[in-house]
Amino acid sequence: MFVNLEQAIQLIEEGKILHIAADESLLAQLPKGKWIAGTTPYFITEQGGITSKDKLFVDEISCAIDYKTVVYNKDNIFDITKDAYPNGITFLIMPFASDVAVFYAKEAPYSDDLLMNPTIGWISGFDLSTDSRAKVYDGISGASYWDKAVALHICLPDDEIASLGIINIFNIDENDTKIEFMEDSLSVTKCLVNGKEVIFSDYILENNIDTKLPLIADYNSVLVNVSIKSVSKENSTVDFYAPVFAGKEYHFARPISDYAESFHERLQEFHDFKPIFSCNCVLNYLYGKLDNKATPPFAGPVTFGEIAYILLNQTLVYAEIVNK
Amino acid sequence: MEKGVNRMEELNSKFEKLIKKQAKYESSVLGLNLLISRLQKKYAANQTPEELKNCLQEMESFLKKYNSIVKKDIEALKNL
Repeated sequence: MFVNLEQAIQLIEEGKILHIAADESLLAQLPKGKWIAGTTPYFITEQGGITSKDKLFVDEISCAIDYKTVVYNKDNIFDITKDAYPNGITFLIMPFASDVAVFYAKEAPYSDDLLMNPTIGWISGFDLSTDSRAKVYDGISGASYWDKAVALHICLPDDEIASLGIINIFNIDENDTKIEFMEDSLSVTKCLVNGKEVIFSDYILENNIDTKLPLIADYNSVLVNVSIKSVSKENSTVDFYAPVFAGKEYHFARPISDYAESFHERLQEFHDFKPIFSCNCVLNYLYGKLDNKATPPFAGPVTFGEIAYILLNQTLVYAEIVNK
Repeated sequence: MEKGVNRMEELNSKFEKLIKKQAKYESSVLGLNLLISRLQKKYAANQTPEELKNCLQEMESFLKKYNSIVKKDIEALKNL
């Protein structure tokens, strides 16, 4: 729900377990309580996309029978699987460009235990028209961090279980150019294009590739996007918002003419769906001009990276609680 | 008991094909697809009986924990 500061404070004071997203100016005013939060001024509410520093997006986690918040850094982030409840769900928020977020992005696909514990969340961000810094908040201590991750571990009743999903409006044509990378990295110089080694930045510039389109890898039918952050002709580098991985085949996404319509088409099958959490990517919000456009039944923060077990880009992620 | 053991052995032979990329199965469950992808990559990097056993154990643990949301997948995997 999209609420004002007074309403958010009231929910906290009522002892509700909450996940919160809002601008730093609002989060700094919240009392201690059973909540975690991350910074963003961008949201897709039930009424549509909006940039706001006056309201907070709050998810009440009413399915919880127990909870705990834990703060992690780069050295212990994968303790998240040990700290998770045997039957639960973990909400994870990490600040954009923090060491812990970068480490998680690169290592999560190799974690043996991560898929055994539903972990959903996002990368917190900031108003792109300012030089603000992304932060996360642990409501129990009231502390905020720009260099640490915060998790809200939720314990579910025995007869319920958490299920995570993603909606990726992008698609690939497997006959398109195949791109491979030699190492796991957030920044590359060289790659293989259809098996031939090239300077990736040159390839992008010479072929006039639209860098608003993500690279996509197929993880057993799950299309995982990697968004391009920047292309430097001068340095011959291409930087990404999530890592590319050696051993995966990537293709550039097919162009999309209308993001809102693409979401609308993909969301038809979710009419009676009741997610307990969802978030969507700031690049979809900006490139897709989603201001005033809703994505029912999904509403939530607009984020600088999405987490559904692993770090994702340009993707809507959601969690639901289902009966066993 | 014996029936249960045989059923697991039967399923393990299907999982083995999947992990070795000798068969393909796409689930509607995000976690299962990511697991299949991860185990295929893990085994491809170290094609030993021990690694295969580890992969099979991981698959079995996942399906056991998420039995209620992967029932359809287990039935489909039997016919792989």
